[in-house]
Amino acid sequence: MPIGNTQPSVRLASAGRAGGPAATSPARRGGTRPRRTRGGLGAERYAPYILIAPAVLIIVALRLYPLILGVNFSFTGDGDQNGEAVGFGNYQELFADPLFRTALGNVGLLVLLLPVAVAIPGLLATFIFLRVPGHRFYRSVYFFPAVLSPVIVGAIFNLLLAFDGPLNAVLGSIGVGPVDWLGDPDVAMFMVVGVHIWATFGMALVVFLAGFATLDAALLDAARVDGASLRQVVWHVIIPSLARTIQFVFVTTMIGMLTSMFGLLFVMTSGGPEGSTYLPEYYIWIQQGQMNRPALASAASTILFAIMLVVGMLQIKLLERSGKVD
Amino acid sequence: MRQRAMWSAVLVVGLALAGCGSASDSGKSTSSDGKLVVWDWKSGEPFAKSYLDKAKADFKKKHADVEVEFVAQPFDQYYTLLGAAIQSGKGPDVMMFNGGGQIRDRVDALVPITDYVAEDKQRLAGWDAFTKDGKVYGGPVTLQGYPIYYNKEIYRKAGLDPASPATTWDKFVADCAAIAKASSKCFALGNKEGVGIQFWMSSLGSTTLTAQEYDAWIAGKRDWNSPNVKRIFQTWKEAGDKKMNTDGANSTAMFNDSFAAFQSGKAAHVMGLMSDVGHWKSFNEFLTAEKLGVMKAPVVTAGTTPSLPYDGGIGYAVAKWTKDPKVAADLVRSLTSADALKAFYADAGAIAADITIDVSQAGPAASTIVAELKTGKPALHVALSSKTIDLMGRLSQQLLSGSITVDEVVKQLAASDQAG
Repeated sequence: MPIGNTQPSVRLASAGRAGGPAATSPARRGGTRPRRTRGGLGAERYAPYILIAPAVLIIVALRLYPLILGVNFSFTGDGDQNGEAVGFGNYQELFADPLFRTALGNVGLLVLLLPVAVAIPGLLATFIFLRVPGHRFYRSVYFFPAVLSPVIVGAIFNLLLAFDGPLNAVLGSIGVGPVDWLGDPDVAMFMVVGVHIWATFGMALVVFLAGFATLDAALLDAARVDGASLRQVVWHVIIPSLARTIQFVFVTTMIGMLTSMFGLLFVMTSGGPEGSTYLPEYYIWIQQGQMNRPALASAASTILFAIMLVVGMLQIKLLERSGKVD
Repeated sequence: MRQRAMWSAVLVVGLALAGCGSASDSGKSTSSDGKLVVWDWKSGEPFAKSYLDKAKADFKKKHADVEVEFVAQPFDQYYTLLGAAIQSGKGPDVMMFNGGGQIRDRVDALVPITDYVAEDKQRLAGWDAFTKDGKVYGGPVTLQGYPIYYNKEIYRKAGLDPASPATTWDKFVADCAAIAKASSKCFALGNKEGVGIQFWMSSLGSTTLTAQEYDAWIAGKRDWNSPNVKRIFQTWKEAGDKKMNTDGANSTAMFNDSFAAFQSGKAAHVMGLMSDVGHWKSFNEFLTAEKLGVMKAPVVTAGTTPSLPYDGGIGYAVAKWTKDPKVAADLVRSLTSADALKAFYADAGAIAADITIDVSQAGPAASTIVAELKTGKPALHVALSSKTIDLMGRLSQQLLSGSITVDEVVKQLAASDQAG
């Protein structure tokens, strides 16, 4: 856009966002401009700033300012040292706390389990797409858990996974010893993540089905005519065609895992056993609410924010790249 | 156009102001205009009605012109909300606290009421839990203690004498073996939250530590290397190793799954509470009063005398930003007046802080507990900081699963206790 090179870039951006022919038409009819009065020109120059001001003010006042306050607060002390600057003291304490390190480690575990969380709805959506018997029934059943609140899901699985619960009873009847699903530190985190995946994969499934709707049927037919097996069809036709959908599901599942596990954790394990299922969110809540350490909680929040920022940047990168493919 | 913009601006500003207002409204201190705001987590419950009515009537006699507003907060959010209020320096004038660490951690925000409540000192018990450095910060409403309840029916089935439960740890372990043969568990234990060890420590504290060690512990001089302190964790581990506890203790919630296991007769003993939940009143309802017994802690270390561990349970404290601390302290006194506490005991099923209340109607278990209040001592775990308590919960789970030694547990707790 060579026109308007000399004008402020903000204006360009706002015009671009408004989009459409209406926004560009004044530029085309540029000849009429000099006839306007100076005052009119001034108003027009400031109009975009005034128009975006409410949004910017709200973001600055309700998002950025509290964020800065929180970061600033994380450099002050708790209790007797309330309000005093302690430098990086809180951060040192955090990284010396094995519990916080466990919480960060669990974030790493979530990232590692992400492919599983994406593969499950992907695979099930493929089966529905390939019209396995009963696919209509499964389509609605799979989505059902997504409408339940995490608290209810957690309570249901607490009952199912209890030491004297039905799952262990079934295992016992086939001669397998009882497992303390939520009481064994090596197992509990996987159970919570498993339940989270169970409760949320319906959403990803719907996204996948939407992706399948855009799939070129001719490609599938061609593959079948060429005698491709099911595995070859999935690997060489379906997955490449769905690359963007898969990326999108990766991003949204990651966000879901990092931000909405609190309810499940709270109900199912309360961070236990032995602190093995702590996540940063839960740690922050405990420090602020139970330990009366708001400044330490702020420091932990700042670290969580930094992690989310990195994840967010990666997501933007991913989405940008997939955008270029088109 | 301009007018429309102006109206939108007015709307936005109005909404923003309304938003701020509604968020901070409940936290605003309004004592200046003859009104006291009280935060607690009880006043919303139906059983608290007659208690509040009595307390309000008592307060009205002293300050007819002061209005009192009770704001019931959800308990699981209570200290989070209170923390935010304290941080902003604006909040209720009078607020409910759990005795021990919860109030001691927050005395910066409170006014000492030692002189205002001097008259109640004798009538009420449980002051220690609301005291820090010799200053009283809160008036106790209930007493919270950790008696060992047992099921007389299971004792009978196991061939034991329900009238004389074991008085030594060794005899107790032998009894538990007999109970196991009668296919019941010895202890109903829920340690999912890591609370089980707190009850264990306090219930068996008086018979595990010597009297000097006990008093030193409460006074803050805790010798974690003492063999008797280690013994607390050894008996805990022993009970786990000998399968004396109900299965899956680390994944069972104490509130209220472990109490439910005791009530339904799956286990012979439970270290329960005196007030609120997991106590004589709820056990009476399920087991009936005849089957429910309260036993003294079995002697673990020779030469010790069992005593009931208890402290002030919940109580009310006065915020430092209240306009007139005297008026607010008078409200605390009304909330702990004899009539009000009698209503609280009767309706809520709590051992009230006023030990002159007659509890003979409540069954033998409650009477046994009240009889033991005179010789009772503060509970051991209440003296610990919330941070050490939290760590102890996790370590106790590790002890049960066998992934840590008693020596390591004591070492970590000593480090945490000294740091805090």
